[in-house]
Amino acid sequence: MVARPVGAPRRRSPAGPFYASLPTAVLLLLFVGPMFILLYYSFQESSFGQTTGWTLENYTSILSDPTYGKVMLTTVVICTVSMAVMLALAIPLAYLLALRLRPKAELLFLLLLVLSEELNPLIRVYAWRTILGRQGVVNFLLTRAGVIDQPLDILLFSSLAVVIVMSTTYVPYTTIPIYAALKAVDPALLEAADDLGATFGTRFRKILLPLAAPGIFVAIILVYIPLYSEFATPALVGGTSGYMIGNAIQEQILEAGNRGVGAAMSFVLLVLSGAIAFTGYRLGRIRRLQATA
Amino acid sequence: MTPAGPRSITRLARIAFLSGVLLLLYGPLAVLALFSFNDQIIIALPFHAFTLEWYREALANTLVRESLKNSLVLATIVTPVSVILGTLAAFALTRFAYRFRGAVAVLVGGPLVVPWLLIAVGLLLFFSRLKMPLGFTTIGLSHIVVAFPLVAAIVSARLVRFDPRQEEAARDLGATNAEVLRFVILPHLAPAMAASAVLAFSYSFNNFVISFFTGGFELTFPTWVFSTLRHAQNVPIVNAISTLVSGVQLAVIVVAWLLWNRRARKLAGADPMEMLW
Repeated sequence: MVARPVGAPRRRSPAGPFYASLPTAVLLLLFVGPMFILLYYSFQESSFGQTTGWTLENYTSILSDPTYGKVMLTTVVICTVSMAVMLALAIPLAYLLALRLRPKAELLFLLLLVLSEELNPLIRVYAWRTILGRQGVVNFLLTRAGVIDQPLDILLFSSLAVVIVMSTTYVPYTTIPIYAALKAVDPALLEAADDLGATFGTRFRKILLPLAAPGIFVAIILVYIPLYSEFATPALVGGTSGYMIGNAIQEQILEAGNRGVGAAMSFVLLVLSGAIAFTGYRLGRIRRLQATA
Repeated sequence: MTPAGPRSITRLARIAFLSGVLLLLYGPLAVLALFSFNDQIIIALPFHAFTLEWYREALANTLVRESLKNSLVLATIVTPVSVILGTLAAFALTRFAYRFRGAVAVLVGGPLVVPWLLIAVGLLLFFSRLKMPLGFTTIGLSHIVVAFPLVAAIVSARLVRFDPRQEEAARDLGATNAEVLRFVILPHLAPAMAASAVLAFSYSFNNFVISFFTGGFELTFPTWVFSTLRHAQNVPIVNAISTLVSGVQLAVIVVAWLLWNRRARKLAGADPMEMLW
């Protein structure tokens, strides 16, 4: 993944395996091991922790059950809409930060973005409950302003609430990779386009978007894929219409004791994540080639 | 048409957009903090009266104290272990050539790419298969396996920008391996290691999903918040303790950043942005 570093000395030496040994051992035991156990359980009949034999039942049951289909569809819609909202915020934000703000303002804003990411995400979810609830700030303001007579119930414990919370939680993670990509843009390129009479739309489509593409790809890996396995946010603000695949996995594993089915769902999700990463990677590469051509 | 008109409109639109983003990011937290001082059990506008009652109650609550203590101790153990493992991995990945380097790189990247929920489920099944009782130890091991690849990524990024001539110069002047490490390489890595320690600490302290699955009945601060909110709509003591915890987190990071910034200004050429990563 990482290109061969230009400067770093790369010596053939037994010190390499020596340094690698401890981290590798930890990962083999606590990362590869659990992933194999997950795969193993997904092909096992199990009830309450005991495995009783090989089976394909776990996969056939989730793939044929329309309920899981619906949950999966909800998950795809919620994640995709959230990602689209985040990109709609992050692309202009990254553009302003990288190319338009003065250095001091740029640094301050970046610091604020990073800071908000260091706070506990659960606290943020809870904070949104105070804003969106029946007696929340939004309903209070709308009722006071006379826009509505009855408090809106759809704002909380709904798929809309999940989208609102998720798409505001990960804005910094979406913005920073795009910012980094745009920071590499030569401002002279934009000025040249300006001088040649390109409209903002043309500049955006022909210059900014292709150059931002690698950053957008990183943002998708960093944000879109984890959205699929969210379960705290939908559990706290999602209600029934915001029930996602992560909630189904948690319920199967921790509440129903149905480890086989839970493990199979996890694996379906893992394959889906891989597919998204691969597609994002391909798209990122194609866009980059077009930009340099 | 004067150029001033449209330009100031653009400027206004920019300011509006940037404030909007800040409002989305920090507004809810500000409201949460505000309600922690409201003298009513129901969290709703309008405000009633100012009180510090919720802070008193939160700090007296045994579960709050227990879970905060657990989270702090966990993060304090997870951070140095992750920084050491991550730095070892970064050395192995960037400074040497050997047969399985590619495989090690894939392995270290694994926990960064696989969603946390799936790692959490895998770890739960793994620990229960080994009949390991779930609790403090299993949460700690789980945090380390996710946090140290993060450190490895940050430290590697810094290592590949290391100018090998510095090392060669030191060797030409007769420095031993240990001296090169101590006086040339580690000072170059210090900022990346400091930044990754901050990240590893807040990762462990804030992590919910992995602690929730691998912790059994052991509470960490995030799992306490979750289980409290799951069963109740609004809990003013959660507002109070969350405000307190967030305030401390913000203060620590701002102070760390200011200290770094001062150091960076002293050593002209160091990049103040680095601390952000």
